[in-house]
Amino acid sequence: MSLTINTMINGQSVSGSAEASTSLLEFLRDTLEYKGTKLCCNTGECGACTIIYNGMPINSCVTMAADAIGAEITTIEGLADGDKLHPVQQAFIDTGAVQCGYCTPGYIISVKALLDRTTKPTAEDIEEAVSGNICRCTGYNKIVDAIHLAADRIAGRA
Amino acid sequence: MAKAEFKIIGTSPARMGGVERVVGKGVYGIDLMLKDQLHGAILRSQYAHAKIVSIDTSEAKKIPGVHTVVTAADAPNVRFGRSYFDRHILARDKVRFMGDPVAAVAAESPAIAKQALKKIKVVYEPLPVAIDPEEATKPEAPTLHEDMPLPKSIPADAKLKNICGHAVAHVGDAEKAMAEADVVVEEVYETKMIHPQYLEPRIAAAQMEPNGRLTVWANAQAPFPVRQETAKTLGLSLNNVRVISAGLGGGFGGKGSGITSGAAIEPICGLLAIKAKRPVMIVLDKAEETISTTIRAGAKMYIKTGVKKDGTIVARTGKVFYDAGGYSGFGVQAGGRCTNMLGGWYLMPNCHIDGYTVYTNKQVCGPVRGPGGPQAAFAVESHMDSIAAKLGMDPVEFRLKNTPKPGDKIVGVPKLRDVSLGETIRIAKEKIGWGKVKLEKNQGIGIATGSWIESAGPGGGAIVKVNEDGSVTVHIGKIDMGTIPGFGIPMIVAEELGVPVEDITVVNVDTDASPWDAGTVGSRGILVSGTASRLAAIDARNQIFKMAASQLEASPDDLEIVDKQIRVKGTPAKAVALATIATNAHNVIGEVIGRGYFDNVAAVAEEKQHGSSQPFTAHACIVEVNPDTGNVKILKYVAVHDIGQPIHKAAVEGQIEGAAAMSIGQALCEQVVFDTNGRTMNPSFVDYLMPTINMMPRIETTLVSGYPGAGPYGAKGAGEIACVPPMAAIANAIYNATGVRIKTLPLSPENVLRALKEAGKA
Repeated sequence: MSLTINTMINGQSVSGSAEASTSLLEFLRDTLEYKGTKLCCNTGECGACTIIYNGMPINSCVTMAADAIGAEITTIEGLADGDKLHPVQQAFIDTGAVQCGYCTPGYIISVKALLDRTTKPTAEDIEEAVSGNICRCTGYNKIVDAIHLAADRIAGRA
Repeated sequence: MAKAEFKIIGTSPARMGGVERVVGKGVYGIDLMLKDQLHGAILRSQYAHAKIVSIDTSEAKKIPGVHTVVTAADAPNVRFGRSYFDRHILARDKVRFMGDPVAAVAAESPAIAKQALKKIKVVYEPLPVAIDPEEATKPEAPTLHEDMPLPKSIPADAKLKNICGHAVAHVGDAEKAMAEADVVVEEVYETKMIHPQYLEPRIAAAQMEPNGRLTVWANAQAPFPVRQETAKTLGLSLNNVRVISAGLGGGFGGKGSGITSGAAIEPICGLLAIKAKRPVMIVLDKAEETISTTIRAGAKMYIKTGVKKDGTIVARTGKVFYDAGGYSGFGVQAGGRCTNMLGGWYLMPNCHIDGYTVYTNKQVCGPVRGPGGPQAAFAVESHMDSIAAKLGMDPVEFRLKNTPKPGDKIVGVPKLRDVSLGETIRIAKEKIGWGKVKLEKNQGIGIATGSWIESAGPGGGAIVKVNEDGSVTVHIGKIDMGTIPGFGIPMIVAEELGVPVEDITVVNVDTDASPWDAGTVGSRGILVSGTASRLAAIDARNQIFKMAASQLEASPDDLEIVDKQIRVKGTPAKAVALATIATNAHNVIGEVIGRGYFDNVAAVAEEKQHGSSQPFTAHACIVEVNPDTGNVKILKYVAVHDIGQPIHKAAVEGQIEGAAAMSIGQALCEQVVFDTNGRTMNPSFVDYLMPTINMMPRIETTLVSGYPGAGPYGAKGAGEIACVPPMAAIANAIYNATGVRIKTLPLSPENVLRALKEAGKA
């Protein structure tokens, strides 16, 4: 049975149909063609598919498309203001945190959610916020640098 | 060129392609969608070793929405392989590991394709399995490949089987020297299989063009070998196959070995597209990927070393059993490398090591990040500490005592040019606080070193085109997975052509247009494409100067390009825009097209004459071992690397830190686990553990310059070498903390706790 899903993505009303068994990730990528959110493990372990759902970062691969009904969703496509990148996006580029870039959209979403809560994250805050985001390229150094740089810029410290 | 003269080299400008990646517009293989595409899916063997008695696809074909079902009978009877042609794209007669492809389907939706796979009836006759590479060589082991001969170097009466590679590291008279040694240490080390687990799943897409050509999209590191092997296995000529590189979400060598890497996903997809007469795309599920694609193989290593009382190493003997998996894959090369490196990278006057690459009923060995090196280094560098302990010598002093000098030879390398090993050890010692830092209870300190090859392997080209507006388009044969194409190549071209980095585009690989290249493998991005791009940029500059010289009434030798202006040196007012010259070129030479290539024959000859300038590294760490849980926490980690000349500083640090992280993962948790039937027990990310941010220490990276390498401006490859030392550095720190030497990876809580208990320490 097909469901009609009316939802709000990046501030825009969007509608599409999905099967009851369709994941939110499949709905975003395959039905609505928001391809910035990435498919990887499909088991909620790697964070590549992270989106902001009603203010909270979640793994869209283990969330049902039906859960999007009436929800407010932010994907990676919704962060930049026209050509002006979000400070987290800019910081990832400036610190060399984007190698292959496949974990990057999910990472940036998790970090945005963190920095929306605090612009002075402790090491523990950072670990907690992104321990569900696996990066296989960087060894995490440059990503940690990016998080601190973005926090400093948002708070006006840099 | 002296360092101070660089304008761009050694800085860290924004990565080409960074913006599209951070806004979610980066296009990876998985984001492709061809018009009217069907969804492909692959039926994989449910047995690790079995005869295929029959395959019945009739029920699958009847399902509405199924367009085609293919088996080996639908493909040309052609085998592929790198060392041995021992494999078909779809298993014929026999399956040799659990993920071996048996049949494939193209259907209107992924769900229909999956349903069709379930309706394919395969009757198997299960056979005994060979899991352990050493056991697999014994006469009583099952035979994997009935028609594959043993390597010629193995005597007929050796009573060995299932061996596809035999490498030797024989120097001097090891037996005699061993007998004369004061102290002899003999150990056995073992590493297990890990999966590279790049985050983007493997894909292939294929479409028959109206003119009979086959277009293949692949997220492969080696598009040209994919073209060659796809053409061969489908019976097509090379001009009728076009491989387009889709963006790669990681590779780490796991996507590096032609069609072997993806278990022939590209020709299988091509076959489906040909039979279905529709475009087809296959996307592997991550768990399917973990059991079927290429991996970093496990190795069992016997190592014995004789030393004099003063710490001088006099002899080493050993044996390697390197796991190829069900087919030879990259195992012969990786096993050979492991065998050589078991001889170490210290002075070693006498050595006798035999290495065997062995077929087992597991997935196939690929060139995963430093193939053979990390395994050998775990044994060599753990063993160095065991010897030092027996001698009562400090591990750092023992290593420095046996460090080669310029002109010396090491096992597998007849002559070294510059040797940075000693300096990297001394810096690592200083940075970690060796002998100075106060260690608390259950804490330990460890060091390990490493090296990696520099010039072995094929060459490759670059084309630099200067456009009418003075912008530049660069074609190389290496793909962008976060390594040199997006970082260093634009910088090198910018440095030579006086064009801003942001005005340079490096084009994705398309085998119809790009210069040939063996692939983005072997730490060769900077060496091959870096050298070729530099020479191509210089070639373009020479063409530009020749045309500008007459206009500026100056000699070409007196010209320079600064900010896209060609100027007479010392008279900057005498200038003409690069755009003008590039436009005028249309009426003279057609277009400014610089060509460059990396001449590997010349590089090998140069190395033979002057010696190898291979990189060295030392890693050191402090760990804390929890005696109740066996958990190992890394408190501090330093990585010191000779990189010749950094091109993009942040990128080279990123390569080092990422490679170190992969081997730290192998040290502490990563392992593909098999049951006795050859079934993978942990295919999904739920069970396959790898380093997350909370497990990783801050890697403190130090780049050492001053030992020029064979790459442009003296650069050296950096993608793999940091994978070499971590496992032994951590094992040595655990030994330092607990007095317990663990010789089998991973150093996971359960394995550490077991070892502590066996030693009566927990």
